[in-house]
Amino acid sequence: MFRSAELVTALRSVTRELFERLRDETVDADAAYVVAPASIEEAAAVLAAAADAGIPTTFRGGGNRRQTGAPAAADLIVTTTRLASIIDWRPDDLTVIVGAGLPVDDLESEIAERSQTAVLPETAAGSTIGGVLAAGASGYRRLRYGPTRDRVLQVRMATGYGKVVTGGSPVVKSSTGYGMARLVTGSLGSLGLIGEVTLKLWSRPLAVSTVRVDDAAAAYRRTYRPLAVLETPDGASLYLGGSANQVAAQAVAIGGRASPNLAWPEPITDPVRVEMRVPAACVEEAIRWVQRIGATRWIAQHGVGIVSAGIDALDVAGVGAARAWAESVSGALVVLAGADDRIDPWGTPPPSIEIQRRIKAAFDPAGICNPSILPGRL
Amino acid sequence: MDATARLIELLGVDRVRTEPIDRMVYAKDSGVTAGEPAIVVLPETTAEVAAVVRIAAAFDMPIVARGAGTGLAGGAVACPGALLVVLTRMNQIVMVDEVGRTALVGPGLINLDLSHALVGRNLHFAPDPSSQQASTIGGNAATNAGGPHCLAEGSTVAHVLGVEVVSADGEILMLGGAAPDPPGYDLRGLMVGSEGTLGIVTQLLVRLTENPPQTVTMLIAFDDINDAARTGSDIIGAGLVPAALEMMDHEMIVAIENFVSAGLPVEADAVLLAEVVGHADGVAEEAGVIRSIAVRNRATDVRVASDEDERALLWKGRKSAFGAIAQAAPDYYLNDTVVPRTRFVDVLGEIYAIADRYGIRLMNVFHAGDGNLHPLVSYDASQPGMTDIVVEAAHEMVCVAVAAGGTLSGEHGIGLEKRDLMDQVFTDVDLDAQARISQAFDPARRMNPGKVLPDGARCFDRPSS
Repeated sequence: MFRSAELVTALRSVTRELFERLRDETVDADAAYVVAPASIEEAAAVLAAAADAGIPTTFRGGGNRRQTGAPAAADLIVTTTRLASIIDWRPDDLTVIVGAGLPVDDLESEIAERSQTAVLPETAAGSTIGGVLAAGASGYRRLRYGPTRDRVLQVRMATGYGKVVTGGSPVVKSSTGYGMARLVTGSLGSLGLIGEVTLKLWSRPLAVSTVRVDDAAAAYRRTYRPLAVLETPDGASLYLGGSANQVAAQAVAIGGRASPNLAWPEPITDPVRVEMRVPAACVEEAIRWVQRIGATRWIAQHGVGIVSAGIDALDVAGVGAARAWAESVSGALVVLAGADDRIDPWGTPPPSIEIQRRIKAAFDPAGICNPSILPGRL
Repeated sequence: MDATARLIELLGVDRVRTEPIDRMVYAKDSGVTAGEPAIVVLPETTAEVAAVVRIAAAFDMPIVARGAGTGLAGGAVACPGALLVVLTRMNQIVMVDEVGRTALVGPGLINLDLSHALVGRNLHFAPDPSSQQASTIGGNAATNAGGPHCLAEGSTVAHVLGVEVVSADGEILMLGGAAPDPPGYDLRGLMVGSEGTLGIVTQLLVRLTENPPQTVTMLIAFDDINDAARTGSDIIGAGLVPAALEMMDHEMIVAIENFVSAGLPVEADAVLLAEVVGHADGVAEEAGVIRSIAVRNRATDVRVASDEDERALLWKGRKSAFGAIAQAAPDYYLNDTVVPRTRFVDVLGEIYAIADRYGIRLMNVFHAGDGNLHPLVSYDASQPGMTDIVVEAAHEMVCVAVAAGGTLSGEHGIGLEKRDLMDQVFTDVDLDAQARISQAFDPARRMNPGKVLPDGARCFDRPSS
């Protein structure tokens, strides 16, 4: 790491001027410098300078996911606080273009006026759209609407080599060039900064319901397309959406206690958090594994294959065993927060690691963008 | 030993074809471009594909993968000197997991054969391109194919969970899989839609979709095509996303009706085919909303398919469109472009104007719900210069769509057909970024070279300094 004074002298004067102008004093961080570019072009200029000087750089939206992938310490933080507006909402096209720094809740409450949703994570207090996209995070409603990735139509980003690149297409359906928007979604800021995104929207269902059930898996098998099927230590619920008659009929058919809203579980905020990602058919076994490693709180997504859990302390041997099981069913155990030197956040790197390494090198040739955040410490 | 001898040693003489007739048979897809391969091979296993790729590398031959050849953009058309890898024999259904709702299939499996094999299990494969009786799932993945039902279900990429791939250097890799959000880059998401330029897909793990408990299919007739288009826009604007929302213009209706007698109203200027699926109560309500929007937009007739046979017949009409136009003229050029749904009416008008200006015969059948236009020109390619005129008009139509905020292709892909139009929607810097991806997968540029990206796309090709 550079110390602050060294970093500043490492920069050419014109760059220093740029950094001074964009400086963001509101963020309290260990990094030598925090900048808040007001355009993607400015972000690209910042990254070009950082690449030139070899300054390890990270990106920050809401800061909720900054432990994901246990990135190396950075000297420069680029925030998206000035890239935070709704640029073009087209309700009749069911699309919206937003700045990456826009909080998820701000977007969802704005478009709720026309009864639309971007189907972003439901309990994402403070999360920004850029952060959610970079993490590749999806909401519980992915069971019905698919993962976030499927709704990212176009991305404008500042690459690690300091250029502004547009990937994907601005319309709801496209087979025009490579799926860059899919690549960038979940890339954890390792390729550059996501600046602006075009999202596909859905209409909110006219009626919703949360139905408590005893056996989540059985209820799911009997119900046509619920929004989500969640199980926690407190019990299981089916989340329904559709017309009023449909939701009422489905709730009666399931037979549990129904409430006329979507009662999502409180998000898990424990200092150590793990996520099991396994084939949907293996969810029940994954629940047993997180219980075995001492999870006090967990949320299982039936039909999807994700079990998120909070644990008091990292039991290295236990997590290792749970990970070995997850990988044996072609899944993964990811330590989302609280990973330390004793356990890798991701586990065994994917077989395509060499191609992944080459993509990283192609978009971040100087290796400055969130170094070592990816599986295999790329 | 030369490449042919090595390949014969690997596959046997029957599955290595080099005769002029073989090379001619495989020289075309279903579009307007053509190119003869040097050698055609028909592997049957992933290991054979990997060995074929290594032989091609040893002899520095470009490799082009091909399924059924129903593509329209030239993505599977051979480049000079190419080794053409035909995957139609890799058509197995390896596994169906009814609980996890997935199937593991070979790339050569015909799309509709998968759904047929699932009859009785209450599951189907959702992507349903009009070519689904002939096109392969590998080809569907290569082009990120759509179809009427991708309006609500998403294009092929939303239904491919994982792909087994033979990389450019002959390695076998699994990208993605049954578990959600695998750590690392979404290489699966890049592979789908990459038109064979990043590797050869040798197996696919696909998502299966639960059959809806109820389906209502409606045929809505209009005296004015603008009313039909506005109805389509209004349905989406009202927050409904039907399972499918298709539109056909008068010329198309007449051609289809002459061909298959699907009971379409030949006097109508345009029809909408709308389908809503789901829970019985929800479906009835949605169908009611669509009917009232249509009536408000001066629909002359709203017919609801009364049984499964009538429903199947309506869809047969829609999916026979490209067969039907053969009776109008010997050749056709089917375009594929997407506009924002709200610009649909304006762009349609401009497209008719272009056809008038060129004096060509235009029919329209398209996915109204997602703004995916398919202007279709029927013509006689034996008339000198006619193909050039048609292609020129088609390019003009694409440019109109792009100017309205649309893009080049919704579901057919870029291939050769639109490669040189890529600069209409991407800057040099954008194309360079895409070239970086292709280079990361295929540093030697062996896989389907010359497709998707225009020559010289790698404009910042210099060592980092």
